[in-house]
Amino acid sequence: MKRVTVRYFAVLRERRGLSEETVETTASTLGELLNELIAKHRLGLPLSLIRVAVGTDFAEANRELVDGMQLVLIPPVAGG
Amino acid sequence: MKFTISSDPIQPLTTSHDAAGGFVTFEGKVRNHADGQSVLGLEYEAYAEMAEAQGSALLEEAITKFGLLEAVAWHRVGKLDIGDTAIVVQCAAAHRREAFEACEWIMDQVKWRVPIWKRETYATGHSEWVHAGSTPNAASDDGMFARQMRLPQVGAEGQQILQQARVLLVGVGGIAAGSLPALVGAGIGTLGLLDPDVVDFSNLHRQTLFTASDQGRLKVERAAAFAKRLRPAVNLETYPDRLHSGNVDTLIQSFDWVLDGTDSLDTKFLLNRACRAHGKPLITASVHQFEGQLMTIHPDGPCLQCMFPEPPPEHCVGTCAQSGVLGVVPQVLGAFQANDLIKGILGLPTLDRELVLIDLLSLSITTLRRETNPQCPMCAGATTTNIDWDLASLPDGNFRLVDIREPDELPRLTVNHEAIPSEQCYAVAWDQPTVFVCASGRRSYRLVADLRARGQDQVFSLQGGIENASL
Repeated sequence: MKRVTVRYFAVLRERRGLSEETVETTASTLGELLNELIAKHRLGLPLSLIRVAVGTDFAEANRELVDGMQLVLIPPVAGG
Repeated sequence: MKFTISSDPIQPLTTSHDAAGGFVTFEGKVRNHADGQSVLGLEYEAYAEMAEAQGSALLEEAITKFGLLEAVAWHRVGKLDIGDTAIVVQCAAAHRREAFEACEWIMDQVKWRVPIWKRETYATGHSEWVHAGSTPNAASDDGMFARQMRLPQVGAEGQQILQQARVLLVGVGGIAAGSLPALVGAGIGTLGLLDPDVVDFSNLHRQTLFTASDQGRLKVERAAAFAKRLRPAVNLETYPDRLHSGNVDTLIQSFDWVLDGTDSLDTKFLLNRACRAHGKPLITASVHQFEGQLMTIHPDGPCLQCMFPEPPPEHCVGTCAQSGVLGVVPQVLGAFQANDLIKGILGLPTLDRELVLIDLLSLSITTLRRETNPQCPMCAGATTTNIDWDLASLPDGNFRLVDIREPDELPRLTVNHEAIPSEQCYAVAWDQPTVFVCASGRRSYRLVADLRARGQDQVFSLQGGIENASL
């Protein structure tokens, strides 16, 4: 089991109902974890429309998920 | 009041001063052309109380300065036709010389100091708000910008650069409520305002450029009126239109910078594509509830589509109407946008590859680093668009070398090539590998970006151009 922190922004924060949480998962890649979160919390966006950053750098969905990672999930934002 | 704003035709007076040896009446008329364009008519708008107070003060100044017996003036507002009288200035003096000089001086000063502006309607159907006059000398502007010109990063030279800048604001709503006052106040010379909407009551909590009495009126017109009250000398171009693929290229090409304050994902991606194609920097801001995203997308850096290679469907991520927004949030994002723009125009460091996430609920800022995405349909081509060859030792190969400079630009190439000026290159289908060359590599890069945006993938730009080549 890995423990990672996940921060949500914009519509993802709104749909998740919180800004940050610690998640326990067996997912092996970032993409697998995201798909788990998308299904579990009905985030309403496909994987292709959510960008994930590890720390302050963007990362690809096929990157290995490592215990202790700090993830940031960013959707497109439209309001103005 | 010596200076009167009038919505009715002006009736000049006759002088009643027995001591007046000279009595000059100047009438300013609406003429049928401006800057080479045919004008059909004019509409004048004034900030009346201020115009009358400022106008009267300067007439008093003229009386003292030229030793006049009397000076009066009227300015029309509302719709005027060709040949109508827009302004009348009358000066009475003991001798004609003072009366003539004072009249001319008053006209120059009115145009600069009195908040009156006009909308010219051209024969092309386009209309434009322009200040009724131009700055008689730079010193008049210095007064407004004195505090920022004291900054070593600005100075007189920086202020001149700001005055020459042309900036397009796409979307004149909540974000523009933060950016527009800052840009006008900073002395940006020309602002383009594009928005198809009229002011709605539900806009006012965040779109504070507008007032309750503006409801139902075009946002671009009311925002232009706001800007003119702040700085009468600002040049404004209003486009009460939606941005679409048919107008985006023409619009963007005449501006130096583009600010995105729209609430539409489609528009944001369209702007990203067009700014990339034309080599224009784009500062994009978006808001959601208590937070915002800010990016400055430079022509040679990662773009919006590098983050989201597949443009998201409209309405998938919530809008202000659906999710709600605190009014101050877009204003803060607009102020950040203006800050980065002003720095960019002045040549100071701006945001570059960052995505800035601003959470105004917790008052925290998260900065992430963006990268060029090799899968990005906009940039994947661009990374191989520039070719770094030495012109003196061109590799052998089956390609065309095209010099896109004008025929009179020297030195001409000595290697085997074709000379086709860049504007003629758009109509050609480039079906074999082609390398374009210009003086510096900038024009050829833009041409190639334009052609690639139109689906031509066999075109390349010679990096650095002829200046960089050892001929």
